[in-house]
Amino acid sequence: MNESKSAPVYVCEDEPELASAIQKALSPRYQVVLSETGAEAMRAARAGQALLLVMDRKLRGADGLALVESLRAEGIRTPVLMMSAMGAVDDRVAGLQAGGDDYLVKPFAMVEFSARIDALVRRLSDSTETVLNAGALSMDLIARKVRRRGRDIELLPREFKLLEYFMRRPGQVVTRQMLLQEVWNYRFQAQSNVVDVHIRNLRIKLDAPGEKKLIVNLRGEGFMLDADA
Amino acid sequence: MRMRDLTRSTPLRLAGAFALVFVLLTVGVFGFVYVATTQAWIAELRTVFADEAEKAASSDEDRLRRSLSLRLTRDFRRLNYVALYDPEGALVFGNLDRRPDIPVDGNAHLLEDFRAAPGSEPEPTLLVARKRPDGGVVLLGRSLDQVVALRRVLRQALSFAILPLAAFALGAGFFFARRMGARIREIDGAIGTIAQGDFRTRLPVRSGVEELDGVIVSVNGMLDEIERLLGQLAAVGDNIAHDLRTPIANVRALLEQALADAPRNERLRHPVQAALRQLDRAMTTIEAVLRISSIENERRHSAFRPLDLAALCTEIYEFFLPLAEAKGVAMSLVAPQPLHRQGDADLMREAIANLIDNALKFTPRGGAVRIEAGERDGRATIEVSDTGRGVPAAEAHDIFRRFARASNGAELPGGGLGLSIAETIAKLHHLELHVSDNAPGARFTLAERSPEQSAGCIN
Repeated sequence: MNESKSAPVYVCEDEPELASAIQKALSPRYQVVLSETGAEAMRAARAGQALLLVMDRKLRGADGLALVESLRAEGIRTPVLMMSAMGAVDDRVAGLQAGGDDYLVKPFAMVEFSARIDALVRRLSDSTETVLNAGALSMDLIARKVRRRGRDIELLPREFKLLEYFMRRPGQVVTRQMLLQEVWNYRFQAQSNVVDVHIRNLRIKLDAPGEKKLIVNLRGEGFMLDADA
Repeated sequence: MRMRDLTRSTPLRLAGAFALVFVLLTVGVFGFVYVATTQAWIAELRTVFADEAEKAASSDEDRLRRSLSLRLTRDFRRLNYVALYDPEGALVFGNLDRRPDIPVDGNAHLLEDFRAAPGSEPEPTLLVARKRPDGGVVLLGRSLDQVVALRRVLRQALSFAILPLAAFALGAGFFFARRMGARIREIDGAIGTIAQGDFRTRLPVRSGVEELDGVIVSVNGMLDEIERLLGQLAAVGDNIAHDLRTPIANVRALLEQALADAPRNERLRHPVQAALRQLDRAMTTIEAVLRISSIENERRHSAFRPLDLAALCTEIYEFFLPLAEAKGVAMSLVAPQPLHRQGDADLMREAIANLIDNALKFTPRGGAVRIEAGERDGRATIEVSDTGRGVPAAEAHDIFRRFARASNGAELPGGGLGLSIAETIAKLHHLELHVSDNAPGARFTLAERSPEQSAGCIN
């Protein structure tokens, strides 16, 4: 594929309020094209001129699920974020099986949405490196070693996985829901602030006294790895 | 099928009773034939002999001799006895030398062991003696050898017939009872599956009993209708869910938009943020209701895979451990053995997580939460006990009802939702969730139902 960062994100959503809110939220970072019926988005994807598709499952006059399926059948790998007001147990599975790369159930917080978009776009640049670096922190994925300013940091396997998730997304908003899904593979919403406690524990190990916080809390949004720390 | 079950089954008892009645009736009929044929015949003979004796006694000697002699010559089978004795008792004519010892009263007498001559075989014999006007005695008699033979034949027939007959009746009864029992168990099994909520199951037709088949067809028709209505209901639910989420998503986006558009407007920020919080709170509840009904309706048995419940408990325990430590609650896990069952791992994780989350939520600093996974009497059991405020006994029954929350936990958010979801997931896995007193605190137990209840569903 020859998508570039400048290629637009196509938003296939027939609810005008939501579509315009999405457009406003994404426009500072991405070029956004609204495609009410999905037709323009399909054309762009086939031509390799779409960075990403945001696809509602039920469009006026079209079935979002079928559109994604046909794209995948043609071998087109453009990332797709499925959106749906259908949140039953199997709906998510169906959305991902059809070829969606992620699935968000409506309603959602806009931070959750844009964090998912960022994650999908960055996934394109996901490297196969075995050592990840962010500022003074380096992470050896083969030797399972983490060092910050020459200091070895001992991590439990789950903490290692958690840090790796952040290291792959420096400067990117990561939500609690994303961590639950991707790091723990959990499909449920944790009612308590368990994820926060895990991050706090990880932070205690990462930050020596006087050092800048490596993982910062974004109030009401989630967390972010500060690559400059 | 075991013998004990068999004797307890109603069809077999009916078959046994049927066989018994059949045998008794047969014996009765035989008995009637036995008595009727022999007794009636003897009674008839008595009358005939009394009449003949009377006639013989009154006729003159020449005619008497002729008729007696005729009687003897006609008697090819040597069954008849005739004799004429003079007044002194000596034989004048006939085939009985010695007068038998019977009253000379003109009535027929039945001698069971009559010997015609001193050396001959004893046999039942009907004899009548009557005095003649000249003082002599005329005697008529007849051996009842045929009656004895008939009785023997009847007895033999009965004893030969009764055993195979009884065996046949019992065998037939046994066969039908077994067949009926198997059919009824099949139907019962299907009803059990349906009662568990699987409305796609149908009762097996062809029970072999036409009336029963009629009932089954009607019940299946009823199930078709129930399934159709449930499907309609689920579709309505899906539509409502869809139609609810869409506008809420729009409202949420608009509110966030307003915040983003006026980042410095304090008068706007607070109410909008409050509105967003309330919207999310409402959505949490709606989400839980939708989730419960979707778990209930979809019945994702197809997604069931082998899983280790003990490993799931360990995993969720480790997930919550940092939270317990942060809260100052001592959380412990006892899961020594793998606990292999069939299930949906994602849903089971959610159920266990909800129980642990709930326990941590209601346990104060310094308290303890204990998670145990193991087998009790062969049944998988997961127990989460805490030393929190417990569940009042009066409310223990209601706690899993959607969104119920113990009255003494009212200030903690979202208490009832997780338990309701956990209970729904438990049901799907043929597990039972109940709460008991941990003194102090509450103990939530997820336990497999008895093996009969869950046979075929969980191995």
